[in-house]
Amino acid sequence: MAASTKTDIRSALTNHGGWTSLLTFCILTLAWVAGFSSRLFAVIRFESIIHEFDPWFNYRATHHMVTNGFYNFLNWFDERAWYPLGRIVGGTVYPGLMVTSGGIHWLLHTLNIPVHIRDVCVFLAPLFSGLTAIATYLFTKELWNGGAGLLAACFIAIVPGYISRSVAGSYDNEGIAIFALMFTYYLWLKSVKTGSVFWSVCTSLSYFYMVSAWGGYVFIINLIPLHVFVLLLMGRFSQRVYVAYSVFYIVGLILSMQIPFVGFQPIRTSEHMAAAGVFALINAYGAVQYIQTFLSKKEFKTFFFVAIVSSAGLVFVSVVGLTYLGYIAPWSGRFYSLWDTGYAKIHIPIIASVSEHQPTPWFSFFFDLHLLICTFPAGLWFCIKNVTDERVFIALYAVSATYFAGVMVRLMLTLTPCVCVLSAVAFNVTFEKYLKVEEDETKKVEEDEDAEDSDEPEKNDKKKSLYDKAGKIKKFKQEVPKESEDLGLNIRSLVMVCLMMMLMMFAVHCTWVTSNAYSSPSIVLASYAQDGSRNIIDDFREAYYWLRQNTADDATVMSWWDYGYQIAGMANRTTLVDNNTWNNSHIALVGKAMSSNETAAYSIMQSLGVDYVLVIFGGVIGFSGDDINKFLWMVRIAEGEHPAEIKESDYFTQQGEFRVDAAASPIFMKSLMYKMCYYRFGELQLDYRSPAGYDRTRNVEIGDKNVKLSVLEEAYTTQHWLVRIYKVKDLNNKVKVTEPHIVSKKRKSRYISKKTKKIRKGSIKNKPTIIKGRHPSKTRSKSRV
Amino acid sequence: MEALYSVPFAVLELPNLRLKKPSWVTTPSPMVMFSLILVSYFLITGGIIYDVINEPPSIGSTTDESGHSRPVAFMPYRINGQYIMEGLASSFLFTMGGLGFVILDQTNKPNTPKLNRILLLFMGFLFVLVSFFMCRVFMRMKLPGYMQG
Repeated sequence: MAASTKTDIRSALTNHGGWTSLLTFCILTLAWVAGFSSRLFAVIRFESIIHEFDPWFNYRATHHMVTNGFYNFLNWFDERAWYPLGRIVGGTVYPGLMVTSGGIHWLLHTLNIPVHIRDVCVFLAPLFSGLTAIATYLFTKELWNGGAGLLAACFIAIVPGYISRSVAGSYDNEGIAIFALMFTYYLWLKSVKTGSVFWSVCTSLSYFYMVSAWGGYVFIINLIPLHVFVLLLMGRFSQRVYVAYSVFYIVGLILSMQIPFVGFQPIRTSEHMAAAGVFALINAYGAVQYIQTFLSKKEFKTFFFVAIVSSAGLVFVSVVGLTYLGYIAPWSGRFYSLWDTGYAKIHIPIIASVSEHQPTPWFSFFFDLHLLICTFPAGLWFCIKNVTDERVFIALYAVSATYFAGVMVRLMLTLTPCVCVLSAVAFNVTFEKYLKVEEDETKKVEEDEDAEDSDEPEKNDKKKSLYDKAGKIKKFKQEVPKESEDLGLNIRSLVMVCLMMMLMMFAVHCTWVTSNAYSSPSIVLASYAQDGSRNIIDDFREAYYWLRQNTADDATVMSWWDYGYQIAGMANRTTLVDNNTWNNSHIALVGKAMSSNETAAYSIMQSLGVDYVLVIFGGVIGFSGDDINKFLWMVRIAEGEHPAEIKESDYFTQQGEFRVDAAASPIFMKSLMYKMCYYRFGELQLDYRSPAGYDRTRNVEIGDKNVKLSVLEEAYTTQHWLVRIYKVKDLNNKVKVTEPHIVSKKRKSRYISKKTKKIRKGSIKNKPTIIKGRHPSKTRSKSRV
Repeated sequence: MEALYSVPFAVLELPNLRLKKPSWVTTPSPMVMFSLILVSYFLITGGIIYDVINEPPSIGSTTDESGHSRPVAFMPYRINGQYIMEGLASSFLFTMGGLGFVILDQTNKPNTPKLNRILLLFMGFLFVLVSFFMCRVFMRMKLPGYMQG
């Protein structure tokens, strides 16, 4: 009897399938846990709060949905934003995020687990990172094999490019959208492989979720048609592709139009026309193939030619005609800026002003992807070398995503999964080559090892000590198949150990970046003293709570649009403009008020019904993201709408510099922004070494130390002067125009040089002018005399 | 129908054309595709789009205490900025790392002589290691506090 149980156990132990699935399960679970926990830095260091700007709106909307129900949320007209216009929230959001967290909240409450909706929101993105890892595993498994899949899952769980958008508290659309993206791609590959209607419908459903979650769905609806089109060109078109694409397109189209914000866009905008064109094309191709069976070869040739030319002409003419007649909207500005990279800079300052819309320098690639950026081309090489229908897809994905990531920093996010997948393929191939065991070894060892190296980054992530152990085990196993190998065992194990070292460094880098770069809530600032003690600067919340407690419920707060969502979310007061920058002229009006003098600003503020004005001022603590540093964007945006009253060049000195000290331009010194930031600042001496009124952000002594305000009065200034709130005084009987707004009347020369003063804004202060034949230091001393 | 077709040819005479697909239009080989992609990858990861839009100088310069201007290859402390040369240098390293892995794969072809194999292995390995560690060095230059705490 004992013997029989023994054999049972042995057979269970040698059951390959069982071991493989157990290992897969364990590794994926560990990847999930590792991904989840490495995103918790912010929660542990600070507290469980929502970060940044946009998440505050998402949180507010979720809160509204949970308290008032889904249908009230869809019909929500928010009169507290964009005063006096208001915002139709239900029709202008992607509701997927709110519905997801609302659903989780509902489920937990049904199970009698009382969790506040805020905690659900905070932890949603880390939770979904695990699902992303699983989706990536499935995707890579379809593309290559299970081992590569596990590696890819481990990579995506900890790669900084994805963590940057999914730390705990960054409650934004991207957090769940990357999961939806990868899952849709996985299902798409599956449906291309099988050609079954079932998988295509699943793809469309997943696509529906993606549409409801993020505007980036346009990437899917262009990439999949591109894949089909390239397959057609390569002569790889088949019945399977036909079924998969037509089902996906029809069902996906109808489903995507159910989202109120998307509406009729899929049939009316140029971004979606490629998908429709490919749909028409494959149907035409299918029809031609069908007719081919009836015709002789020669007849078919003529027919084919005529059919192709006429159909292509017809499609082209109809698209152009419909665009011209206005049925199809032309490309929107954001998409133009993807192709014509200079477009936003010239035409839409509001897009160009956002830092995440800037083009990507090399550093971001390495910072966000580290080792993977080097292995990515190798993985692409393996995929192109042994090409199949699916690998065409990943190649297209890689090429397009790389381009888009180069154009905009934020699109690094869509590149990241693809890089993880291809790097995993590269590592998998290399490991297989260098860990290959000779035939006399049993297959089991091979599989074991395969799984082990997939496990590696995982272990690295957890404990570095484990890594060494695993390496030693590998060496030990390698002892067996020595003789017949051409390459010495030593070289092989050397290669392996080095690769492992690199993976370990990757894990260390990821953790370092996550902890240092991507885990600050940006609502609470922390500064570290010399002895390592931490000093928390909580001025933002202090100011918002002051607004909440001390102002009338219907008070209107004017601020630059960055802070709109936070004021609405934390202070619960009406705002003029916020981060949903849908109305450029309204923002320009606020920009104009900030950049004109008090008299002009007062009339704008009166007409907009402003009660309080809020500015962020970093001069006391040296916070560089304050309103003075953003000021030029306000001027630019205002200039775009009111070119007669605001001119950007008025705010520079004669030398074309933007400065706040005594040499600052007089128009800037009279502007509302300057006055509000530096009101009473001239009295403040920060330490004994520096004079009173010394701005630590810009490291200068301010120009006007005796700022007088006539139409505003200071209402509140936070502890570190980070947020300053002013109350707009009531209307006097008669406002005396003391400082008429003067606009310089410079005539523009017809020739526009590319190096205008605007472009040269980053010039170095006090740069020594070099005169030929004279030593620079001497020149300076002379001028001083 | 036939009559309709022949209407223009009552006026026109058919030229004796022989249109052929030019011989150079063929499906590109995987190698060609890959090298195209690799070149564009090199350019994009080097931040060429950033260079086109923001027009940074190819190499920066600072003025030291004595008034001499010294060239600076890396724009320090600026995560969102770069000079043209530093971008190209680092994207060269990225590409080299990728090629290293490809070479590592090539070593295992069965019909390579032993010496070649060892040379290839050495090369590939060197590529991978050099690119990786140089990238780290670049990163230190860019962000002096990197991995310090």
